[in-house]
Amino acid sequence: MEKYRVLPGPEAFFTPSAARMGIVLPEPGYAHIYGDIVTDEEAMEFAARKFLEARNPTIHPGPLVLWNWNEKAAKKAKAIKILADVIPARLIPMADYRPKYPKINPDVEINPNHPNLTIWHNKEDVCMFVGVHCHQANLSLKIIRGGTSCFTIAMCAQAGHEDANLTFRDATAEKILRLAGWVSKLKGVSLNVPPDEGQPSNVRYNSENLFAKLADGGG
Amino acid sequence: MSKEKIQICPEFYDIMPPEYRDLVEQATFGKEDRGWKDIGQSKELIEEHSLCAGCPESMAFRYILASLPNPEDTVMVGSTGCTSLVFPHVAVHNIHSLFGNQNAVASGLKRALSVRFPGKVKDVVVLAGDGATVDIGLDMTLQSWFRQEKFTTICFDNELYANTGGQESGLMQKGFVAKMAPVGKQFEKVSLPEIARESGCCYVVHCTVSKPNLVEKVVRNAVLLAREVGPTYLQLYTPCILEIGKDSMEGLQEMRDAERPGERFRYKEYITDTAKQFLAGIDAQKKEKVAVLV
Amino acid sequence: MANELSETQRSLIGTKNKKGQTYTDPNALFFDAPRTTAFYTGSEVIKEAIRRASVDVMVAYPITPQSEAAALIGELYAEGYVADYMRGESEFAVMSQCAGAAFGGARVFTTTAGPGTMRAFENFPMWVGSRLPIEMIVTCRGINSPLSIQPDTLEIYFLLGTGMLVWHAETAQEFFDWILKGYIVAEQPDVHLPIAVCCDGFFVTHTKDTVLLTPSDLCLPPYDPYRSPVPCMDMEVPPVRMMRDPFVMKSNYISYMTHASWQEETRAACERSRKHTIPMLGGLIDDEGDDAEILLVASGTAVSQSREAIRLLEDEGIRVGLVKIKSLRPFPFHELREATKHAKYIFVPEFNVIGWLATELKAALPDNHRIIDGPHVAGGMTMPAEVIVETIQKTLGIGAMSLAGRGS
Repeated sequence: MEKYRVLPGPEAFFTPSAARMGIVLPEPGYAHIYGDIVTDEEAMEFAARKFLEARNPTIHPGPLVLWNWNEKAAKKAKAIKILADVIPARLIPMADYRPKYPKINPDVEINPNHPNLTIWHNKEDVCMFVGVHCHQANLSLKIIRGGTSCFTIAMCAQAGHEDANLTFRDATAEKILRLAGWVSKLKGVSLNVPPDEGQPSNVRYNSENLFAKLADGGG
Repeated sequence: MSKEKIQICPEFYDIMPPEYRDLVEQATFGKEDRGWKDIGQSKELIEEHSLCAGCPESMAFRYILASLPNPEDTVMVGSTGCTSLVFPHVAVHNIHSLFGNQNAVASGLKRALSVRFPGKVKDVVVLAGDGATVDIGLDMTLQSWFRQEKFTTICFDNELYANTGGQESGLMQKGFVAKMAPVGKQFEKVSLPEIARESGCCYVVHCTVSKPNLVEKVVRNAVLLAREVGPTYLQLYTPCILEIGKDSMEGLQEMRDAERPGERFRYKEYITDTAKQFLAGIDAQKKEKVAVLV
Repeated sequence: MANELSETQRSLIGTKNKKGQTYTDPNALFFDAPRTTAFYTGSEVIKEAIRRASVDVMVAYPITPQSEAAALIGELYAEGYVADYMRGESEFAVMSQCAGAAFGGARVFTTTAGPGTMRAFENFPMWVGSRLPIEMIVTCRGINSPLSIQPDTLEIYFLLGTGMLVWHAETAQEFFDWILKGYIVAEQPDVHLPIAVCCDGFFVTHTKDTVLLTPSDLCLPPYDPYRSPVPCMDMEVPPVRMMRDPFVMKSNYISYMTHASWQEETRAACERSRKHTIPMLGGLIDDEGDDAEILLVASGTAVSQSREAIRLLEDEGIRVGLVKIKSLRPFPFHELREATKHAKYIFVPEFNVIGWLATELKAALPDNHRIIDGPHVAGGMTMPAEVIVETIQKTLGIGAMSLAGRGS
């Protein structure tokens, strides 16, 4: 039997989970594309390219970054905004996990119980989930792969999502900024990164010095 | 969780659905004298519900959520029934449990929260129907009271299993004809408030939800007492207008009829001396505060 | 990397808890820490494991043969090693109390056996669907009717479909290690499932055995409920409207699909546990088969008896290999296919009447006519090694003295 690949759908009436088809999550420092383990950097470039080639690139922030409930969330929110601005990608939140009643407004939000409605309505061809609890993210990714042809990217703070077409793991604000850096590099533009605490004014980065800054542990 | 934590990241404020912006700006998290009067003025904690128009349970649910003293630190436990259809839309953590084990789940939950947050307010409130409380869950309900577990149990008494189509429950009146009681219920309505009193509840109230200010008062008392003194129990008559053949507008009158003197849902309260003193203490503190302000 | 800790957990390594125990990196604890020998019953070994497990809540209920262990955990609570402990009113209530505590972010432990498992049962798939990483040990005993307090593994058959992780320990030593390791695997964010660590009652719980214990002043790092794939129900996270155990159904395709996908996700979580379990247990099976043509494949005490049978057969000049199954869920398909590749005869001795392990193997292995399910004993019968020997000899047509005929 051929090795299963986690390709964009529409795949099935009832999508099997990639884990049950034998796909294994990547180790730290690695990512996966279509179920194949690759380095983080490879995945960064691939994802950046996918975003730039997309007609309706969209980022879906979830409750873990929508709410200003700790410093990490606040930093991630800033990084996500920078990423969304540089692509530019639409931001459509996953504000809550309950089935929307009586019906969702797919223009303004996405929901893990019926994410396909939002994907279809906005004709999303590349989307990224960030700050969504892993369980709900996996639900969404399966349903999207089952019924739509959207390419899904998971920017996961834990172990990653094999149900996405591309997953990162151990996501931090720095990692999200790094992806923004890749987008800006491929696009040939500079990034507007707001100053850290105590710095005087906005600093403009090009991708080289942004990567250096991130390597320093700054950002 | 402090009210300060309920803030949206500024980068995403504009894209958050309006109901969540309202939840931050207009909801009464952290408001000391929140109550039923906030309904209509402030953002309610139930976003919407799919219960029948005029359902007394839905009214009661809204009053209860408006009356919780500290919703930002309250976790609720429900059971299967009509309220299960509302709970996903509630902006307070809630657990569905199975059916009948709500008081067992609440026991474990309260203990875990006490271990993890010693000395901090973390209220647990159970909300279940009469079938879940008095039939399938009677054992676990009573045992949580025997053990003096510190949470509030609220029973929505509509005197039958409404969500499954109107079957007889222990809290149905004798002689009433319903599904599974085709020739009328053969035994009396279970005296659960009295059993609650004997089982160790320090505060038991038996009433209808026709008066929102009364619901507010007893819910507040029940939650505050459960924090410090012992388990509390509220049995609220929330008639299922569908199953008793009434119209949407008639629920309120049904409750008013049922709570008249001599009727089965006249107001009843059982309170231990300790609980009485505790509530008196709170009243005194409130009066002091007002006196200082004046 | 398998079995990682969260940042919060890592920051606690090296610090002490209120009993003066040092929170220790699990791999260091399991594989590097010095061990001391003790001669304990299985029940005492369970106590020693929990002493080192940083458990928050344990709920107990009496049923043979786990009552001793459950009461010993109570002693740990009185000494301050377990944060909260109580005796519940029935196993159904106990497992519901465990669920509540786990929803609230506690590390939870409980124990049960036989009829208790059956009484509790509705809770198990609910735990799975709600992603509650509760550890439950099952000291397998007979299931009514008739009643038997004696060892019998029939109950494991029922557990296999719940979606929980299921491990079957052979010895008290394994039980000690696996109780601790179970938490580390079950609490991984890509797993986050309840786990049933099973042993055969009485054989393990009530016999004394030499065990190697890790130092009692080293303990597991505590559970981090914020490193979970679902929100912790403690109102310390933003008020997103959600439930851990919702109705998702409205009467439409997508609602039912959501329900199905939710369940599919929990099955995926079990698959993901493989990569965490393998380094912890040293593999999902122990392949001592040696590519023999005749294999005994077993789990639990049936493994111990198989070892004896192999020794007896060796004396007769018959070479038999052993494959010991440690993890039943996730089921080691690949490992078993490899280990049984060359076998012509696969015997599956079991302590239950229905032969659930043989059924699993027949479904998983090619050429399943090679599988002989048996011998079986049940209801507390012991399985003398001679019975296994006899089964093998009879099947192979090798002269065997009939055991049943003795005494005439």
